[in-house]
Amino acid sequence: MVDEIRSKAKELLTDGTVECVIGYERATDGVTARPLFAYTAEEIDRFIMDNTCVHNLARYLLDRKGKPTAVVVKPCDSRTINLLVQENQIERDKVFAIGVTCPGVVEAHWGEASDEAQPRCVTCSLEVPAVYDYLVTMPGERQTRTGFPDLERMETMSPEERREFWERQFERCIRCHACRQVCPGCYCPICFVDQLDPTWVGIRNAPPENQVWHLIRAFHLAGRCIECGECQRVCPVGIPLMLLNQKLAAEVEGMFDFRPGLDAETLPPFAVFKKEELEAER
Amino acid sequence: MDMNGGPKIVGFLCNWCSYAGADMAGTSRMSYPANIRIIRVPCSGRVDPLLVVKSFQQGADGVLVAGCHPGDCHYSEGNYYARRRFGLLRPLLDFVGVEQERLRLEWVSSTEGKKFSQVVSSFQEELERLGPRENRG
Amino acid sequence: MSRFLSREALLAWLDGLREGGTVVVAPTLVEGVSLYRQVPVASEIDLDASVTVVSPKEWLFPASHTIFTVERKDGRVDLRENTFDGRAVLFGLHPCDALGVHLMDVPFLAEPADGSYRERRERTALVGLSCIRCRPECFCTSVDTSPDDPTHLDVMLTLVEGGYVVAAASDKGEALLASAKPEEKALSLPEPPAPEKLPTEDLPRLFRALYDDGYWGRLADRCIHCNICSYVCPTCYCFDMRDYPRGNTAERVQSWESCQAPGFTRLAGGHDTRGSKAAKMRQRFAHKFLYFPETFDSQLSCSGCGRCVRACPVNIDIREIISDLKKIGVSSVGSGEK
Repeated sequence: MVDEIRSKAKELLTDGTVECVIGYERATDGVTARPLFAYTAEEIDRFIMDNTCVHNLARYLLDRKGKPTAVVVKPCDSRTINLLVQENQIERDKVFAIGVTCPGVVEAHWGEASDEAQPRCVTCSLEVPAVYDYLVTMPGERQTRTGFPDLERMETMSPEERREFWERQFERCIRCHACRQVCPGCYCPICFVDQLDPTWVGIRNAPPENQVWHLIRAFHLAGRCIECGECQRVCPVGIPLMLLNQKLAAEVEGMFDFRPGLDAETLPPFAVFKKEELEAER
Repeated sequence: MDMNGGPKIVGFLCNWCSYAGADMAGTSRMSYPANIRIIRVPCSGRVDPLLVVKSFQQGADGVLVAGCHPGDCHYSEGNYYARRRFGLLRPLLDFVGVEQERLRLEWVSSTEGKKFSQVVSSFQEELERLGPRENRG
Repeated sequence: MSRFLSREALLAWLDGLREGGTVVVAPTLVEGVSLYRQVPVASEIDLDASVTVVSPKEWLFPASHTIFTVERKDGRVDLRENTFDGRAVLFGLHPCDALGVHLMDVPFLAEPADGSYRERRERTALVGLSCIRCRPECFCTSVDTSPDDPTHLDVMLTLVEGGYVVAAASDKGEALLASAKPEEKALSLPEPPAPEKLPTEDLPRLFRALYDDGYWGRLADRCIHCNICSYVCPTCYCFDMRDYPRGNTAERVQSWESCQAPGFTRLAGGHDTRGSKAAKMRQRFAHKFLYFPETFDSQLSCSGCGRCVRACPVNIDIREIISDLKKIGVSSVGSGEK
């Protein structure tokens, strides 16, 4: 399977379709994966593809605007391309998507790749990328879908319990902003949290500021989050950030029958409205 | 906060309808709870969810966003966007333990002084029932 | 003969200090995450912690810290400094973290010293724990320390059967141990582990030679420019100051900042002096391997703890960079022998 990716990538580089192919290579721990920007055929030989390839590589398209680039995408990652095309951030004809069907990826952090599925994978419903120019099949038994157990557990708590739960989570946030940096939907030139005048949140690490940061960040991704789960994966202190995103995704789907990134045409829910709707929810 | 002073309400009122509605309540000598701190905004569509979350962080017990009735927006459609936005913000707030009743979106026109006073009064009652937030984030 | 404290005696000693008013800051599990926290009782200490996710700099140089508060009241302005006037024990530092504290001392205690850092530092005793095993990302022996090095510590503990061998490493440590009640025992210390050794000897010179090398751009390709590496690092000390006004009061707050953050070098008018990904990436390592040693006439500003290696979401591996610099350097600028 990785041979198919390598030969396609080489072909794209050789015939000048793209200048760079973004794929995965083995990390320095010898067990997990890391992104590799390949500009030559030799570099392409380092490509790998397996269930430790957790990163959403399509996020890097924001760093390569206007430059012809091929990128290896799993189904969740592929939605990034539709999102960014829809939001006029990248040009579709500058991107060659090497799609990989995905049975699910595992929890992989430096030094160890477990057998355990990532939380994003047990809730995922896409098996084939939403957009691709070339398709490769990743073998493996598809992980069992369990619905949204964590979300359901949250719903059974009282507001007081939920408040305490989130206070405990946000207390240990170190405000490294990795959740933002890794997110394909977070591309504002100046993020509200970095804004100085007025300073809405600022960089102070304190529970109230941390909470405003996480709530507003999640809200800015409402109807835009493509559920790649990267924010949760990169969090150095293990804050379950996808819970916020999943909650919003579930609400958005319920209210507006919309899931972002499945195509590049449908306008996102906060760019449109219907005259008769939602009087009960307001 | 001290409940003797009643719950703290932050009100974001659109310039064209709801702010004028609050004015109308005043000039008509109708009484409404003095706990509301009114902030005039150009349109309910201007109210960034950040303003609401920040209000709660700074100690508000409730936030009222009020604008023109659907179809009457001075800018044609700002209130329709606001309706979608706050329709979604309420369940998010609830999810992190801020009861969704603490955020209200209401339509108040410039002639509805009476409605404005009723909205604020009933909101205050609701917030008293929920109790104070003790300046929680 | 060695001084020996059983596990229970160690915790009792710490609880005694705590009851005497000393703040005990130690590795604990916070929702399953290993972090330094002030512990309410010594039994909450995670004695088996290897390397915490965030370094113990959190205590001496907090993520956010109010320097002072001003209040306007009755026509005058009151300024209150936020001082720490207690005593603290920073417990469970591995030798890399002790070196990390020393490398923080270098810039913060250089005159004019940072008042709030100096205050905490002087009032804090460092109790270390030598390493009985190392992790694959450890490389302390490459940066002038080792798994059983007591330098920069006040007290050093070594895990042995049933408890710890305890040794004072400074006068401050000897005084701290006054309440410890150790037993005298004939014990042999375990053989320390041997972490990977990297070619760090010639780094500043190599770095200068490869300053404009294309290497940095290629390395920066996959960097997402989050602040994880800087924030988990025991030796990164950049910060920002902001004022937080509220009503008649305002706080001046110092918070961690990172050279990798988007706005770090953005000037008024919008120009970014380190605009490219490559320049940003290079900065972090140039600071550690070139600017810091040159500015302070010091060793490298790296403690070899490997936290950034483990925490980086895209595997930017400082060990690999050191080896790469050596490799590229040898092939392009010679071996360094004149």
